[in-house]
Formats: sequence, structure tokens, C-alpha cells
Amino acid sequence: MSLRVAIAEDSVLLREGLTRILTESGLDVIAAYDNADDLLNRLKVEPPDIALLDIRLPPTHTDEGMRAALTIRREHPAVSVLVLSQYVELGLAMQLLSESAEGVGYLLKDRIGDVADFLDSIRRVAAGGSAIDPQIVSTLLHRRRTGSPTDRLTPREREVLGLMAEGNSNAGIAARLVITQRAVEKYVSSVFDKLGIPSTGTESRRVLAVLLYLRG
Amino acid sequence: MVEETPAGRSWVLWALAVAGLGILTGVLILGVASARLEPGALRVFLIAWIVVPYVLSGAVAWWRRPASRFGPLMMLTGFVMGLTPMQWSSQPLVHSVGNFFDMLPAALFLHVFLAFPSGRVRGRAERVLVVVMYAVTLGLQLVKILLGSNPDSLFTVVAAPATGTVVEQIQLALVACGLVLGTVLLHRRRSGRERLRRRPATLVVDAFSLGLVMLALLYIGGLLSWSFIEPIRLITFAALGLAPLAFLFALLDLRLARGDVAGLLVELQSDPTTDLQAPLARALRDPSLRLFYWLPEFGTWADQDGTPTAEPTSSVDREVRVLSREGEPMAALTFDSALDEEHELLDAVVAATSIALENGRLRAELRARLHELQESRGRVLEAGRQERQRLERDLHDGAQVRLVALSMELGMLGAAPGTDDELRTRLLHAKGEVSASLEELRDVARGIYPAVLSAHGLDVALESLAARAPVPVQLSVSLTERPPPAVEVAAYYVISEALANVGKHAEATHAWVCVERQGSQLVVDVRDNGRGGAKSHTGSGLDRLAVRVEALGGRLAVRPADGGGVEVRAELPCP
Repeated sequence: MSLRVAIAEDSVLLREGLTRILTESGLDVIAAYDNADDLLNRLKVEPPDIALLDIRLPPTHTDEGMRAALTIRREHPAVSVLVLSQYVELGLAMQLLSESAEGVGYLLKDRIGDVADFLDSIRRVAAGGSAIDPQIVSTLLHRRRTGSPTDRLTPREREVLGLMAEGNSNAGIAARLVITQRAVEKYVSSVFDKLGIPSTGTESRRVLAVLLYLRG
Repeated sequence: MVEETPAGRSWVLWALAVAGLGILTGVLILGVASARLEPGALRVFLIAWIVVPYVLSGAVAWWRRPASRFGPLMMLTGFVMGLTPMQWSSQPLVHSVGNFFDMLPAALFLHVFLAFPSGRVRGRAERVLVVVMYAVTLGLQLVKILLGSNPDSLFTVVAAPATGTVVEQIQLALVACGLVLGTVLLHRRRSGRERLRRRPATLVVDAFSLGLVMLALLYIGGLLSWSFIEPIRLITFAALGLAPLAFLFALLDLRLARGDVAGLLVELQSDPTTDLQAPLARALRDPSLRLFYWLPEFGTWADQDGTPTAEPTSSVDREVRVLSREGEPMAALTFDSALDEEHELLDAVVAATSIALENGRLRAELRARLHELQESRGRVLEAGRQERQRLERDLHDGAQVRLVALSMELGMLGAAPGTDDELRTRLLHAKGEVSASLEELRDVARGIYPAVLSAHGLDVALESLAARAPVPVQLSVSLTERPPPAVEVAAYYVISEALANVGKHAEATHAWVCVERQGSQLVVDVRDNGRGGAKSHTGSGLDRLAVRVEALGGRLAVRPADGGGVEVRAELPCP
């Protein structure tokens, strides 16, 4: 059975484009609205596997999408949420992840164009994983700060750390870096050792741990 | 009222007082000689104890304040009190007349006390009470005499002493109630502004209240035939007789207050730019005094800080004195009505401060202009802010959306099956260019207006600022509700600029950002542990931000922090 998706995006251009990409990729877009309220009402009668939301939605075009996303996280834990926006903010990511990183994503709209990666993110989030925009992670990783424990990481370990923070699974990291899963596991435990992050078990839990660590 | 010189008026007054006291003496001798009275001498002394202070104090008050009815009212009370001994006479007509006035002093005491200090009874409840008291003390008195309650009275029409006694009991009860009610009214008027009222005036009111309560007790005692009525009578007369002394003391205090006028002049001379309200309040001994200036250019009244106010008006307890210059209002004082009786003092103060008041008005006008300027600067800034917000929205909903759609389209074409490799590479390259444009556009939009701030508030926006900062930042944002947009934006830019400076100059390894509300201010504090010194921040964008902060009526300060480093602190008014 194909993945069932509901969308809230107020720009016609993007709403239709998104619907087209997802449909052509074999996903089932059950509804596409231009506001959050209609989406929330639809969720009550027919919950999809994942909801895609723009942050800025009518009527005020400020935080309606964000509030709807938090509502879904609270009231419909079975529905995964992927928030799309034209800007990404660490503060909003932390709000979305405040309870857990399971079944939640926060990406720049630019990512939609990288069709394969974007679909991968949707599937990962729908399956209970997470997807954090690389821009957030790279801001945290690449700021000019002296004396940070991340300085002690090798370039490869930094890469692995970044991919972990974005929500990738070990298998995903292995595929991206074209190395074996065993090698990834070795890097992961080395990173955790060097940074002193306690091992958290599941892959989605470690996203939150890594982000909190990087935020400082 | 015809203006008379105090000298020309005084002999009339003194003649009146002496004549009154002469008549009184006659009446008293009559009382002592009377066989009706037991113990005669004490009663005579008590009557004199009341009559003399009221007549004399009334004369002084009338002399000092010819426009006020308080003096005549006091003298009248004394005289009527002096008439009551007529009922001790064995001559039937004299006795009958004296008996008719027996209860009138109760109404007069109440009237005098409630009329303090202006001589006019203020307040509806007070007026009704006084009228009712006159009706009860004169009207019911006549009824009970007509019914034969006093067998010696010539005015008896029907011999129904039993009914007369009932009327008398009702009358005594009503008078006692009226007196208690009067005390309550006096006290209510006092307690509402006790801290504002001038102290001697409070003393007078307290003395009056004591007199009324004791008088009420005396009548209740008479009604219930208490055995210990005589001590109560003594205390009552003592209290009633002392009340005018409190009044005289208040007048004396006024004389002392003139000394303060001299002090006021010295104070004004030593510092001509001082604000006048407080010195005036001190000199007139009225902490509730308020000073207003008429600002013709603004067509409004204002306080000494230039803040527009309503036109000053008088009320039950407050008087207004408008000071004019060349037919135009210049300033106005509002003050406790007790002060109105002391208009010589007011005149002296106003005359002494007239030039200072003129200066004070110019100062208030200058301040009003400054307020206006500040407001218009704030409006210009706010218009700019709104314009930037609109621009950011236009970018977000226009160019950015189109570029995202374009990037989607290119991505789809590149991902479509059957696209040859060269085309795919060129499509991906094009998509990369679009992504780069989007990135640049995002930076431009963020520079124009921090959209995340207006949408999600300071705590969320600062999280990203802190994450991008060159050193680890400890954030502490404690706000229960969001400040107005202009304040929020100013706070955001101050923190943004201060954090950027930390990276550029300070050699710091850590920074602290604290945002909190302190009273009606939003206080923003950014500290670092570097060695920059406050100078490193001058010439930076903070100078520009200081203008923005000041336009909002706030202050921006850059100074060395405790334990090294620099502290940037902004205080923004936040209603």
C-alpha cells in the first residue's frame, strides 16, 4: 500500500507542484489544502500517514502551520509531521522536537527539488524517523568556535555527526558515504565517545541528543 | 461681597463680639439667680465654656476670612448657645422662648462642623442631614411644646403631655442618630484623603468628630435616663469647647506657613530651573497640590513634564485657582479645599512665584515639544518597520515561491526516467544555481526583516541568533507576553549587533544574553567575557541602534562588564 499524504500549503504553485511530484512518485495524496484548519479537520476523520505543512499559512501568515504541526504531534501521535518552510530556525526545530524526534521533520522548501532525497525524507519521517534540514545542522557544526570538543573529530566523523543530526539511519549514512554499516557503527560510537554523549539506543532518539549537544 | 479693609471691618466685629458677650453675661446672671437650676454655678460655667470660644473664634475667623461664612456661623452658634439659659428664668415668656431654642445648638454644631473649612456644606448627603437636623431641633421642638410637654411653657395649646413625651423621645433619638451620621460623614471625608490633607485641618476634623460623638452620647443618655449622665455632660461640653481651639491652632499654623513662602523664594533663587510643583506643595503645606500649565501652542493643559492633561476642575474636596497673564490662562493650581480659606497665603505664594511660573510654563512647553518630537520619530521608525515587514512578505510570497517552484520543476525534469545524462547534469546544475539564488534571497530577506521574530517571538528568534553566534551564548528569555512589535524588533537588533561585536573585537569565549521585563520596561542585557573594553563597540552598528532605541523612548548603554568584557544594555519602554 502506498504512503498516504495530506498537504497544507497556501501557494497554488507549490501545492500543485508538490502534489504532482508525490503522485508521480507513487505516493497517495489524499488531500491538499491552502490552510491548516481544513487539514486538522480532515485528520479527525481520515488520518494520513504523514502531514506536510507550510509554516506560514492563512489567516495571519505567521505561525499557523507551526501551531498546527504541534497540535498534530500532541493530538494525533500516529500521524507523522513534516514542516516545510522558506527559512529554517533552530528555535522552531527545538520546539518541534521538544517531546521527541520520532515521526517529525523540518526542511527548507528548496529540498523538494532534490526529488530522491526529499522522498527519502518523507518515507523516513512517515516510518517514525526524523529529518532535520542540513542547513540547521551545518550552522551548528561550522560556526567559528574555538575550544569546542567537535574540533577533536576527524573530518569523516564530523560528516557522520552531521548526517546523524539530520536524522539519517546508520543504513542511510552508509549509503550516502558509500561505506559499510559496520564502518558507520564504528564512527558513531567514536563520535559519541569523543563528545561524551551517552548512547541513546534508537536512531531517532539520538537526533535529539546530538542536536541538544550541538546547540550547546 | 464688598471689599473692606481689615482695619475698617475689625471694630464692627469686635463690637459685635463684645456686645454678644455682654448679652451673654446678663443671661448668665439670670441663670445663676434662677431657682430652676441645680447646681447653677457649674451649668453657667459650662455654657460660658462653649459660648466664649465660639464667639471669639468666630470673630477671628470672620476677620481673617471675610468671604467665608464659617466665622459668622461659629459666632451664631455661640450666641444661640447663649440663649438657651433663658429657659432657667422664672419669667414665663423668657423661659418659654429659651425652652424653644433648647435643642437648636445640636443642629448648629453639626452645621458648623460639616461646613468646615469653607463655611458651605458640601455634598448632597451632608446638606440633607443639616436640613433634617434643623427640622428636628426646631420643628419637633415646637410640636412637643404645643402638645404640652413643658407645663411651664406659655406656648402649650393642647394638654397632652403623654404624646408630648413620645415626640420628645423620637426627637432625642433622631438628633442622636443625626449626630452619629454627621460624625461618619466627617470621618469619611477625612479618611479618603487623610494622607493628602494638611495636618492641622485633620486635627480640627478630629476635634469636631469627638464633639459630635459626645453630644450624641449625651442625648442617648438623656433618652435612656442614664445615671452617670453628669460626667458625660462634662466631657461633652469640654470637647465642644475645645473644638474652636483646634480651629485657632490651624489658623496659627497658617501664620507659620508664611515662613515657608520665604523659604520657597530662597529655594527658587538658588535654583531657578527647579520644577515648581513640589516646592509649592511644601510651602502651602498641601501634599495633594498639583500644578498645571496652559500650553497655547498645543491648545491643552499639561503637567509640569509637558504631558497633556484634562482641564483642571474643582470637585467636592478640590479647589482650582487659575492664574492668568494678559487675559490668557497661564497656569492652574488644584489643592485641598481647606487651603481655599487661606487665600492670602495662596495670593502671597502666587505673587512670589509668578516669574518662576512663567519659566516653568516655558519648560513644560519645551518638554511637550520634546515628547512630540520623540513621538514623531517613533512614528517614522514604525512606518519604516512596517514597510520592511511588507517587503519581506512580498519577497516571501513572490520571488521566493517562484524560485522554489522552478527548483521543483527542474528537479522533477532531472529525476524523470529516460532523461539523458548530459541533460540531467545540466538540469541539476541549473537547479543548483536556483538553490544558490534562494540562499542569497533568504539572506536578503532576513536582513530586511526578521520574519521569524514577528511570527514566533523573541525566544525562538534569539535561539537562531545564538546558534549563529561566534561564541557559545547562554540565553535567558523570560517574557510572559510578547512586547509590541517595534520594541521586539529593537531588542532583536540590539542583541544581533552586540553578538556580532563579540565575535569581531572581544576575544571572548562566552556570551550571556538576558531579556526580561522590569516594570514597564523591557531590559536587554548582552555580556561577554572578552577583553574588548567598551571602546571596541563605538563606531559600530550600535551607534545606529542607539538612535532607534532612543526614538522608542529607551536608553542604550555600553560599558565595561563586571569581571572584564563588555556589557550592552538596552532599556525599552514597554507598556
